[in-house]
Amino acid sequence: MSDKHIAHRYKMRPPVLSVRVEDSMDIMIVRDTTRRAAGLIGFAPSHRAQIAGAAAALAELVLKTGEVHTIHLSGVLDEGKHGLQISSEASWLTGVSVNNILVALKSKMGDLVDEVYLEESPRLTIAMVTWLRERTG
Amino acid sequence: MPKEVLLVEDSKTQAAQIKATLEGFGLQVRVAYDGPDGLREAMENPPALVVLDVKLPTMDGFQVCRRLKRHPATQHIPIIILTEKSGPKETLSGLQAGADDYIPKDIFASEHLIDTLHELGVLE
Repeated sequence: MSDKHIAHRYKMRPPVLSVRVEDSMDIMIVRDTTRRAAGLIGFAPSHRAQIAGAAAALAELVLKTGEVHTIHLSGVLDEGKHGLQISSEASWLTGVSVNNILVALKSKMGDLVDEVYLEESPRLTIAMVTWLRERTG
Repeated sequence: MPKEVLLVEDSKTQAAQIKATLEGFGLQVRVAYDGPDGLREAMENPPALVVLDVKLPTMDGFQVCRRLKRHPATQHIPIIILTEKSGPKETLSGLQAGADDYIPKDIFASEHLIDTLHELGVLE
């Protein structure tokens, strides 16, 4: 686990995985790793695809800024609910209005995940969470 | 007896590759090369699974998926969309159309496909 990984509003649970994104090939690895992480938590295939799509979109978005970055995936727990968090540091966004960033992120990825938010401390980090619900197949 | 899969894919080269992969899993594969043919095949002889491309002539994969999921004779059939279109909007469109999984055609596609086939009960 990277020391840069955010310890935020939810309790972290395994799996905790990280993928370094240096070029467009790594986006495939992000998608693959996210699918596997979501599978380990118990998400159905359709939800895995959805969460993996969000992780790949985030990786692609950051890569377009020219930043080599790391996508962190971790299980999260909140009052008995299990979920998967995708996060990435976003120092390249420092100085940009948090509201504007959130509006842009939610418009791009809000339909794929349950929560999109920014952690401002210790470093600006984009985070998204999807919660596991009753399996529908 | 092997379970039957209907593959709807307009590229003959890709259809042959996917067919070989699915046959390698012990499945029997029928191929339709466009959306209307795929719909007809699925309704006349419902398979255990439909594997669907998105970019198809006449009617795209999302439309085919929606129609299959609306029709009483085919709505129970699991559908996997296997496509080159991997963006968030396309993924969401596929899942909103009723697909049971949405798998980009990348180097991990076969592994994800086999996992999902197990999960959907198509492979035991």
